[in-house]
Amino acid sequence: METYHNPQLDALGDATRRGILARLIDGPRPVGELARDFPVSRPAISQHLRVLKDAGLVVDRPDGARRVYALNPDAFESLREYFDQFWNQALAAFKRRVEQPPSPPSKGRR
Amino acid sequence: METTQVTAPAVRKSITVNADQQRAFEVFTTEFDSWWPRSHHIGKSPMTKAVIEGRAGGRLYSAQEDGTDCQWGTMLVWEPPSRFVWAWQIDGQWQFEPDLARSSEVEVRFTPEPGGRTRVDLEHRYLERHGLDADAIKNAIDSPEGWGLLLELYRAAAEQ
Repeated sequence: METYHNPQLDALGDATRRGILARLIDGPRPVGELARDFPVSRPAISQHLRVLKDAGLVVDRPDGARRVYALNPDAFESLREYFDQFWNQALAAFKRRVEQPPSPPSKGRR
Repeated sequence: METTQVTAPAVRKSITVNADQQRAFEVFTTEFDSWWPRSHHIGKSPMTKAVIEGRAGGRLYSAQEDGTDCQWGTMLVWEPPSRFVWAWQIDGQWQFEPDLARSSEVEVRFTPEPGGRTRVDLEHRYLERHGLDADAIKNAIDSPEGWGLLLELYRAAAEQ
């Protein structure tokens, strides 16, 4: 049903890619700078960035001759979506409760 | 556009309830256990009670069947009966996050409306503070203990 999550999981199954994401939390970085930060070749970094980009976790833009990578703000969407639906559920439960007189604790479990 | 930090838009909700401001505030806080979703706690055993300590610096915690208390929040602002703010201290591994700088915030405001009703506005903000680390995302998506399951429970309930 939900296939769009899988590329993200695959993308996160690699220590270098997780490291790149952790580095990008602090802000956008040009690819050359990322390549210096990790003990892998520059082509390898570019390959990792491509996987992250394809998974929707990072975005890139040109900056002169360089490419600058940043976390994709949309990557927070699954977290937002979770809380959005969670609060719908919780506030609906609150509304039901606050609009009803107190009732004795329910017996047993459903 | 040059941005130095990634921010996630806040989640905002508003509902109007058929209860006055004082009552709405009390049910939300003092009677928190009577309505808070039972699935939503971070203890290792089933939750027996969900508690909000009504004071600045107070804890939000669940009492567990195994006798432990599991804190998952801290009250930052306490202004009964109109408003409070708490730190949402659950990390991506579904564990207590002691660092407030890595916690999001939930603000709830209670505004009187005509006819003895109350508007409740909820804002869950600074979600980006939970970070975009791999484990958080992975847990959000596929852990049976994590957000994924809650989302599924919600869907099941919503679709009934």
